[in-house]
Amino acid sequence: MSAATMTQRLTLAFAAFLLLVAPARAEDAPPKPLGDIPAMHEEAAAAGLNSVYDGPWEFFVGGGGAALDCDGSGFSSVFLAGGKNRARLLVNKSVSGGPLRFEEKPLVIDGAPHTLENVIGAYPIDIDGDGHMDLFVLRVGENLLLKGGPDCTFTLANKEWSFEGDPGWTTAFAAFWEPGQKFPTLAIGHYVDRHAPGSPYGVCEDNSLFRPQPGDAPNYSVRTPLAPGFCALSMLFTDWNNSGLPSLRVSNDRQYYRGGEEQMWRIEPGKDPKLYGRADGWRHVSIFGMGIAEGDIDGEGYPEYALTSMGDTKLQKLDPEAGKGEAPVYRDIAVERGATAHQPYFGGDFKPSTGWHAEFADFNNAGLLDLFISKGNVDQMPDFAAFDPNNLLLGQWNGKFVEAGVEAGIALNRKGRGALIADFNLDGKLDLLVINRGSPASLFRNLGAKNDSGPPTPMGNWNEIRLIEPNPNRNAIGAKLAIKIGTRTIYRTIQIGGGDASGHAGWIHAGLGTAERAEIRVKWPDGEWSHPYRVFAKQFVVIDRTKAQASYWYAGR
Amino acid sequence: MKSAAMAVAAALVAFGAIDQGLSASWDEKVFASHVDFDAVAKAGAQALPALIERGRQLFKAKFTLEDGAGRPKATQAIIPTKRKHGVNPPFTRTSGPDSNSCFGCHNDPIVGGSGDVIANVFVSEGFESAEFDNVDPTFSSERHTIALMGAGLVELLAREMTADLQGERNDAVKRAWTSGETETVDLVSKGVRFGAIAAHPDGIVDLDRIEGVDADLIVRPFSRKGVFTSLRQFTINAMNVHHGMEALERFGVRWTGSHDFSESGVPDAVTPGDISAMTLFQASLPPPVVRKDLPDDWRLAAAEGAKDFAALGCSSCHIQQLPLKSMIFTDPAPYDMAGTLRVGETGEEIKLDLSTLPFAGQLQRNDKGEWLVPLFSDLKRHLMVDSLVNALGNELQAQRFVERDVFLTPRLWGVGSTAPYGHRGDFRSLDEIIVAHGGEARFARDAYLGKDKATRQNVIAFLRSLQIEATQ
Repeated sequence: MSAATMTQRLTLAFAAFLLLVAPARAEDAPPKPLGDIPAMHEEAAAAGLNSVYDGPWEFFVGGGGAALDCDGSGFSSVFLAGGKNRARLLVNKSVSGGPLRFEEKPLVIDGAPHTLENVIGAYPIDIDGDGHMDLFVLRVGENLLLKGGPDCTFTLANKEWSFEGDPGWTTAFAAFWEPGQKFPTLAIGHYVDRHAPGSPYGVCEDNSLFRPQPGDAPNYSVRTPLAPGFCALSMLFTDWNNSGLPSLRVSNDRQYYRGGEEQMWRIEPGKDPKLYGRADGWRHVSIFGMGIAEGDIDGEGYPEYALTSMGDTKLQKLDPEAGKGEAPVYRDIAVERGATAHQPYFGGDFKPSTGWHAEFADFNNAGLLDLFISKGNVDQMPDFAAFDPNNLLLGQWNGKFVEAGVEAGIALNRKGRGALIADFNLDGKLDLLVINRGSPASLFRNLGAKNDSGPPTPMGNWNEIRLIEPNPNRNAIGAKLAIKIGTRTIYRTIQIGGGDASGHAGWIHAGLGTAERAEIRVKWPDGEWSHPYRVFAKQFVVIDRTKAQASYWYAGR
Repeated sequence: MKSAAMAVAAALVAFGAIDQGLSASWDEKVFASHVDFDAVAKAGAQALPALIERGRQLFKAKFTLEDGAGRPKATQAIIPTKRKHGVNPPFTRTSGPDSNSCFGCHNDPIVGGSGDVIANVFVSEGFESAEFDNVDPTFSSERHTIALMGAGLVELLAREMTADLQGERNDAVKRAWTSGETETVDLVSKGVRFGAIAAHPDGIVDLDRIEGVDADLIVRPFSRKGVFTSLRQFTINAMNVHHGMEALERFGVRWTGSHDFSESGVPDAVTPGDISAMTLFQASLPPPVVRKDLPDDWRLAAAEGAKDFAALGCSSCHIQQLPLKSMIFTDPAPYDMAGTLRVGETGEEIKLDLSTLPFAGQLQRNDKGEWLVPLFSDLKRHLMVDSLVNALGNELQAQRFVERDVFLTPRLWGVGSTAPYGHRGDFRSLDEIIVAHGGEARFARDAYLGKDKATRQNVIAFLRSLQIEATQ
């Protein structure tokens, strides 16, 4: 996969980067996290979760999956890509607070046994608004729209929803509901055009936008090309400037494009997509873009973005000198925040890292966002770290991130790809599933705060929140949650997209630190702000837009 | 007194519970040493007398700069919150610190008791957020000091009630999941009804019919509004608000990234063991009593008044006694949340068997062996105003989700020793506060007013007989 020239350029670039971020003195020890370190217990085998993502060149990338409540239990089951292996649906049978347990439910899609092969990843989304979560399945070949039914059943709906599969090498996906639309708009990201002359270099496939056509059923018969494509590996609809109209960020792999860069498309109702350009303030950034994550790490109301790459991760913040959302001018704050994650922090291999899935989440319930990055060599790239452990960068009160992967127990010798961060046993603590290339997926149960002198101890307070609004968009995709604890407000946005071909639906988790109560306001997808909902900590909260008061939810097992 | 204190210190040092620091015998500093929670817990019952005595010392202590008193750069907020601007003065009567001793307010008629109006404090949703410099009710709510006598028994009652209510909810949820039908259940504990919930078969529980308790069904028995779960939580809050003494378990590096969040100059000023000492001291305070040595006229009137009190309906909320199954006071408490030491954060718990304390002898027991705690409260919140009787509706702010005119039923044990009355101490006589009852208590108040003067006086005689014994 690697080209000598590209490797040389990368190595030089990385060396220059090291000069910027390397400690000034060899004796400088890396900082230690000041708060709780989550004890992440790997228990995939015991949980019955046995899934391997593998395959030839096409499956060097991808390796994603979807977490979704497919049986109405409130627990997140998982659909995991297998590459050359068959994708698998594993139904969550855990009980609240207990060990994780999954049981495979064999999926046969319309009698076509090979349909679930060559799967790159998946995202959960209730496309038809029937209350059952559907799946968008990314493949090498024709993509799938799997319509969800009761008890974790799925049927192929490409034909019913007039979707011809947008065939290709699909490596990215994002979706949102455009204003006034009954069904979501789908963005599909493609990688290399394997059949073009000169492949693989300089031959990236165009990406696609599918807007729902008029009618009472989803109809994705019309494709709008998003050209040029620069070998997208992650896409995300994001309301970067709080305008109420999300734009489409696309992270691209410079390994294969020529003259490309990171992209953002302006998606306005009834208009053709339009790229942000220099005149708009968009600056040239060229990375081995692999995964996008959005999070408001400083609580200022505007999202920051983590962009994984080979070498350093970017952490982009809207430049205040460019106004408050007037222009998409971003500066990289990864160095100042300690979030570069540019080389392994453990294991002695100090070649550049290869980052894939990125996601902001609060693993220790401190009330601060942490940043998880899955890591793993593309396959056998000698100039990059072979032992490249996943990062768990814990957010600190000084605004920085500090690595805790080893202490937490997630620094395994595996080639990480996609990941699913969800509370799989509904105990208020986020667990972690990492899909690995060439080895079984890892499943880490969060046991609580690591305690060197005994069993893990309780961490901070938390809430998990589910939004409901009338159709369309019954899961309020695009809504923003403002969770006020004392004088601080922490934000969460409900999105479909980003990461490395992986996404989860269901409970929105927020750590509350020492707050015993919270006031939650919702900016619904149509832009209307709700009244504050008063909730107590350590509750699963259901906010139904049609009701004045929030309800609590309790698991049945 | 000096020799007693030395003996206590020696005892705690013997248990390994106090770090031995260097200080002179005349030192003003309170914390020459700190209590080690684990050492005390490990030592078991034998350490408790010394621990409680240490708690008494800390309750009466006047904290100094060297102890970490003051919070120059932090607010009174329960959630650690930095001041945005300026430096907090050593004392300020509004947003605090407003005292350098617990005893400064809780002193009437004895240590741990109530206080005069001069000792009122000001609380605000600023509790959750910022500073305030005004006693206008727009900004803060003025509160009269609550006596802490019998507080251990009160907390134990609340713990058992919480277990009952949450158990009823959990059972309803399970039945709904299993049956596929909505399950509506009354929430009742110790004869007190807290409304109802409806548990739906999809796991959602409707909360809008819950009455007088928080939606998480934790009975919070402390403060005028019933918003604090435990003596431990109350102590941590109060130490910060009133003294600027910040507990490690709330304001320490784990939750703030700093060993000296308030920038008082003293890192980790108050240890979990110190908080335990204060908690256990308060938990061990004897409950008030019904005074026995009354003059004949008072005794006879009080006996009649006790009957009238019930007949008028006062006891529908001011329930004379609630049954308590277990007298084992454990520290940490079972329902506290992060920021207050929790079960699972310590190796062993501290256990104080309240039945071993002298006051247990004055408690009656029912045929189930339960202890009857004569607190004259239902530990439930009620609306206390209506359109015509609204003297108690003089606050303008909700507190921690509890509306401005809703209050926890005050415990009337000891009411004869804790004038003035009402959440702000506005009422100088018992007759005045009874007449101020509106809202859910209006019927009893009207019944009282409908009686002749002699009957009303009997009620007063009865209430005046409920006293805090001034034996200390």
